Amino acid sequence: MDLVARCAVEGFFAGLHPSPFHGFSVEYSDHREYHAGDELKFVDWKVFGRSDKLYIKQFQQETNTTAYILLDSSKSMSFAGAGSVSKMDYGSYLAAALSYLMLSQSDSTALILFAERVIKHIPPRSRRTHLNIILTALQYNRPAGQTNLAGVLHTIAETTKRRGIIILISDLLDDEADIFQGLAHLKFLKHDVIVFHTMDHQELNLDYEGLIQFEDLETKARMRAFPQSLREGYRKRVSEFLDNIKKTTGNSGIDYCLLDTSEPLDRALVAYLAKRKRMM
Amino acid sequence: MSFTEWIFLFGGLAVAGPVIAHLLAKPRFRRLPFTMLRFLRTGQVESRSRRKLRDLLILLLRCVIIVLIAMLFARPLLHIRLKPSESRSVHCLGLDNSMSMAYSDGSGSYFEKLVDSAVDYIRSSRDDALFDICALASGDRMQGLGKEQALAEVKALKIEPGGTNVADFLSGLSRASRAEHLSDNVSVLVLSDFTPNTLRQFINVAEPAAVNRIDYESIVSSKPVNNAAIAGAHVVGLADGKLTINAAVVNYGQVRQNRLLTARTGANKSVPIDINLSANQRNIYQVQLDVGAAGQQPSFLPVELSLSDGDGLSGDDTFYLAVSIPGDEGINILLAGEGENRMFLLKTAMDTLSRTSSYDALRIKQVPMSEIAPSDLDWADVVVCSGITDRLGDLASNIENFVKAGGRFVCFVTEVVAPGAVKQLWQRDILAALPGNCISERTYIQPKPTDSLAPGVDHIAARSLSNYRIDKVLLKGCLECEPHPDARLLWQLQNGFGLVYLKSLGSGTSILVNTSVDDSLGSLTKSNASVAFCRYLLGESHQVDEYCFTRDERIVLPMSARDHAFAGQEQVWIETCDGRNRRAVVADSSLLVPDPAGIGWVKTLGKPTIYAGVNLPLDETDMTKPVAAELAGVMSRVFATGTKSDVTKAGVFRDKKNRPLWKIFAWTLILLLLAEPAVANRFKR
Repeated sequence: MDLVARCAVEGFFAGLHPSPFHGFSVEYSDHREYHAGDELKFVDWKVFGRSDKLYIKQFQQETNTTAYILLDSSKSMSFAGAGSVSKMDYGSYLAAALSYLMLSQSDSTALILFAERVIKHIPPRSRRTHLNIILTALQYNRPAGQTNLAGVLHTIAETTKRRGIIILISDLLDDEADIFQGLAHLKFLKHDVIVFHTMDHQELNLDYEGLIQFEDLETKARMRAFPQSLREGYRKRVSEFLDNIKKTTGNSGIDYCLLDTSEPLDRALVAYLAKRKRMM
Repeated sequence: MSFTEWIFLFGGLAVAGPVIAHLLAKPRFRRLPFTMLRFLRTGQVESRSRRKLRDLLILLLRCVIIVLIAMLFARPLLHIRLKPSESRSVHCLGLDNSMSMAYSDGSGSYFEKLVDSAVDYIRSSRDDALFDICALASGDRMQGLGKEQALAEVKALKIEPGGTNVADFLSGLSRASRAEHLSDNVSVLVLSDFTPNTLRQFINVAEPAAVNRIDYESIVSSKPVNNAAIAGAHVVGLADGKLTINAAVVNYGQVRQNRLLTARTGANKSVPIDINLSANQRNIYQVQLDVGAAGQQPSFLPVELSLSDGDGLSGDDTFYLAVSIPGDEGINILLAGEGENRMFLLKTAMDTLSRTSSYDALRIKQVPMSEIAPSDLDWADVVVCSGITDRLGDLASNIENFVKAGGRFVCFVTEVVAPGAVKQLWQRDILAALPGNCISERTYIQPKPTDSLAPGVDHIAARSLSNYRIDKVLLKGCLECEPHPDARLLWQLQNGFGLVYLKSLGSGTSILVNTSVDDSLGSLTKSNASVAFCRYLLGESHQVDEYCFTRDERIVLPMSARDHAFAGQEQVWIETCDGRNRRAVVADSSLLVPDPAGIGWVKTLGKPTIYAGVNLPLDETDMTKPVAAELAGVMSRVFATGTKSDVTKAGVFRDKKNRPLWKIFAWTLILLLLAEPAVANRFKR
């Protein structure tokens, strides 16, 4: 888990320069020549006294944001279509990568695993050693139970006292209106909300053939059908569902990113962080 | 719709198969855990109903296919009811134009009365009526005639020298009736004198014809019938240039006949014989006709026997009799034996045969085998050799010419044959079989000939040989003979080898007898059957024969070996009774005349002229008047009308047609077979 998170994040950093995150504490980073227009308060007068040249002191900004990573651990997250990685594993890798990223920036990072209710809550810490706690929790996490995403979101909204970044990793298989209410609750409390919607490729496309008895992972409901006869309608309804989520989150100022588990994890991170950079 | 082979319909029960399979079959599926079932639900309802629809449709298709196959085997027929058309009047006229209708009682002939009645009937009919006219004797049939056309046809009708054929009329009536609709009003009019011959034919009708109305008129004279006819004639014999003929004369009427019977051929005429016959009396009279020089040589004589005038029908007063006269030429037989004693038995049999009066005169000459001269072959008609010696080899070319010219070469065998002579004769295709080694094994002769149809031998003699118990004649041995490819094996031994082989060469015949004339190889010539065997070998005798046929008989004239002019021909020009020239076919030594076209003479146009006399059918001019009650009963039985006809209407007046449906069924089946997988696949999507 650690290795996956490290590779994903460092691979991502190789192409980027300063962190887009800003905080109150400042740490020296480098010098550069003065250009007209630079603020004089950043001129290093000591260097000017020794070399008679104007240099500007550059600082690496540090953040002190608290990130809450919410990982859906319901049974539906265990779905893995066509032998690919399951949504749970994909979400765990993503959570690990984000934790690594946050902690490397000294941001406090919390991990909340939930299904019908909160299963595990790791409070936010900014220590580097906190990553191990998170990774361990992710490693031993097993999907179980049904989704009650709206309830969990309201719970978190009520129990979280400090504003921060709420990162929700879920398949959002719950009542859409309830989900939106939960997300709106978080947004109302001035949280910066990011939703990673993890979906399997088969969930998006239903590329099955022949007569299949579908069994719901959470409700155990059964259904026998020829997928080829349903594919067109299914895709249409899924597309409507995704569009609705995208539209609603967009209207609420919530970042939304749909992740297909058949695509590499770093591509999802790149896509998201590039988007965040553009927004800032 | 009905089915020709309805038993195959039980095959339709096989639909139980797919139905049971449908009920018992469980769909094969795989289980798959899934998350987003709520997005499938709407489609799932559609899919299940669609699947049910598909299953039902496929089941229905398969059941229909099975039923169609069963129905196809059952050969369905579709009954198409014909559209009723406008009611018409159809009149079928059966008009008797046989020879008896030529009878006249002084106030006009029967036929003239028939024409008048028919004309009156046609004129009294509706203007839009249709007429079918059938001439009962000639078989001419005119259908769908208008009124004026029918009148013209009736007036153009002529008497046919022959008898009536009621069956043709009735079958034609049935055929015509099938073409009409039920709504048509079909009337039948039969005009005839209803002679016993005609009435008998009506009585023998098996299936009645359904009509709406039947009219008939018996055209008879109110006066007593005055008619006599020569019913038949046969040659008794030819002696001293006089031909003796027995003629049967019948008084078919009620008036006593005092007539004269005369026979005539060419310019020769017999002495008239007085005929005195009371009503319905039949008698045989013998006529002697001096044929003069014609009796000395083979010839055909056309002899006409005629009655003097004196009755109402002259067409039956002449009888045509062709007589074949063989002439008084005898048969020269050359008996060539190795020794006089060897031919003794055969010569004795020949002498006995020549003394029988019914056979040709036989002139027998006996010579030793070594002294046969070519001049002997010129003299002889038949050469009988006791064996095959070197002398025959020397004379091989002469013998070949002798046979080709029409001679008959009969060769017995001995235990030893001269190989050189055999080779010479075999190479010239004279021998009917190639003699080989002698087998000293006792055997008997088969009781009957193997080939009883072969020409060139006397088959009457062959039958008499059976009476002489030829199968009891013991043979001490025989030669192994290999038959010539063109030869026929006429008689066989019980050990499987042949006794008599016959082969044609040119116009002549070569016969090989696989036994000896003496008792060295067998006792055939020593037995009681020897005379009959000689006659069998010599072929058919030339007897006086006669050729006369009735109008309704097939004329077949034998073409004997004497008629060299026709040899090799397949067709011969002949003159028929109406004076026209036609072709006749020669087949199996017989002349087949297609149609004599009347009564009188049929003769060949080439030489020699062969005649055949064609006469009226027996009792055709028996003018006995029909009994009215009997006639009414017969006609009501033959022509069913009114309610009685309902039974037969279905058969005769069919208002519907049967059309085979197998093509439609087959195409439907093919389409369904093509559609079934397409439907199955379409619904899986």
